[in-house]
Amino acid sequence: MADLAIDVRELRKTYRTPFRRKKVEALRGVTFSVERGHIFGFVGPNGAGKTTTIRTLMGLIRPTGGSASLLGHAIPSRAARFKVGFLPESPYFYDYLTVGELLDLAGRLFGVPSDVRKKRADELIETVGLDRARGQSLKKFSKGMLQRAGLAQALMNDPELVVLDEPMSGLDPIGRKEVRDLIVGLRDQGKTVFFSTHILTDVEAITDHVAIIARGALQAQGKPAELVKQTMLGVDIIVRVPDTMSSADTEGLTAGADRVRRVDDELSLTLAADSDVDAWIDRAHAQGAKVIQIAPRHETLEDLFMRQVADREPATKEGVK
Amino acid sequence: MINRIWAIALNTFREAARIRVLYGIMVLVVGANLFAVACGKTSMHEEARIARDVGLAGISLFGSLTAIFLGVFLLYTEVQRRTIHAIVSKPIDRWEFVVGKFVGMALVLTVLVALFGAAMTVVLTWQGVGVSSAIAKALVLAWFEVLTVAAIAIFFSSFSTPFLSGIFALAMWAIGRVTPDIERATKSTSLAIRWTTKVTLEIVPDLHLFSVSGTAVDGSMVSVNGDFVSWDYVAMAAAHGLGWTVALLAFAAILFHRRDFV
Repeated sequence: MADLAIDVRELRKTYRTPFRRKKVEALRGVTFSVERGHIFGFVGPNGAGKTTTIRTLMGLIRPTGGSASLLGHAIPSRAARFKVGFLPESPYFYDYLTVGELLDLAGRLFGVPSDVRKKRADELIETVGLDRARGQSLKKFSKGMLQRAGLAQALMNDPELVVLDEPMSGLDPIGRKEVRDLIVGLRDQGKTVFFSTHILTDVEAITDHVAIIARGALQAQGKPAELVKQTMLGVDIIVRVPDTMSSADTEGLTAGADRVRRVDDELSLTLAADSDVDAWIDRAHAQGAKVIQIAPRHETLEDLFMRQVADREPATKEGVK
Repeated sequence: MINRIWAIALNTFREAARIRVLYGIMVLVVGANLFAVACGKTSMHEEARIARDVGLAGISLFGSLTAIFLGVFLLYTEVQRRTIHAIVSKPIDRWEFVVGKFVGMALVLTVLVALFGAAMTVVLTWQGVGVSSAIAKALVLAWFEVLTVAAIAIFFSSFSTPFLSGIFALAMWAIGRVTPDIERATKSTSLAIRWTTKVTLEIVPDLHLFSVSGTAVDGSMVSVNGDFVSWDYVAMAAAHGLGWTVALLAFAAILFHRRDFV
């Protein structure tokens, strides 16, 4: 228990629609825990309950049932929030402030002494790459710049735990890479990072632990490598075929294969795991094709995600965040 | 605690100072003072009284409307625009946030009343109408009135939309301003109506306490033109306003504490 940064037990949240008073279950008994010093990815489609879980943890929403604690403090806890940095989803800040003023406000609320506040704000502005936008009001910031400002304000208290709701949202590939590096850097400093996303490549790249949520309930959780099936699902092959190859020969090569795609003289396909790959390669060589790449195909986090989520019934009209 | 409340207050002040409509209100108040002087000129030897009374009424009216405008919008927009998510997720209690918003608004209203008072003094002096200590007392009373009205607006804004909050706050302000008239009007009615009126007036701040010029206080007529209330009276009225302000903010904080920010 002492080593847990976040501990969530049977967390429930039920809303009622304004007029018909219809019940909408946003969270249906969510249970998971996050160890200190880990990067935890919280994955789910839109309306799965990611943001509701995070807002409940941060004291913005009161749970209907269950319990949760941050750094050993039962929520809602002001003591815990001193040690937690939070980036809301699609962050909205006072648009008349500059990034320096925003960080100053955040520092004041965290009780950071004024001399430390200024120094830390300067460092963070540089870290998130907003040095050249210091003088601009947030009104003039792009979505990606706001996301960076949001990350900076979440780090003003030098937190032990950082909770980020969709931190890569609105960022270009370079920005996403920078945020990923920042998250890894935070872990290297001994901090715990809990972030939600629906961008699976980000999760696969940096998380120690992942949980998949759909329709308000946890579908799977564990280390990414343990969650995905280690058995081979097929063999991905790319060959270069000669211009002279007839369409009948091409059809012969691709018969029974999956994910067949041809771009100019490059043919890519996936053979079933139990196929005779050697025989297929011999046949391809005989027809003048040149093998460029052969790679075993294992289950990815995306496959797992689709397996867990795609078959579920569609979200209701009142779908939760 | 004080630092957190002050941080919210300063930010609220900064936000309100950027609302351009406030500058329009300033122009209106100066206009009201000029209108007051013009009214005084058309009267028969009552220039000073009319100029002062109309000028003070302008401060009270526009100050209260500004308080309602700020009160119903500044808290609501925090929730509507979700700027509150990045604030209440920090180590600040929700009641501290509500009090911080009020203190910020109180700062704005204090500056406005001070500017209104200065504008009135300049206009009255320029027109050769004397400025007495009664004006200072009347301004202090107007100041406490707008602070109380701001608390009323924040209270409604903690659970309602700006439109409804505005209507509720305006109604409460209007009723509060004419409490003695309502009491007088229902004096000779049935016991049920008298009791209903009495209970209604008990749950509405008596804002008439703050606007005494030209009316009877303790049986005698008072006016900023001549005899005016004592500083003891001003202190009593201020205590009444502060009591209501604390109670309304406490209720607003309780209601705000129970809200989900989705």
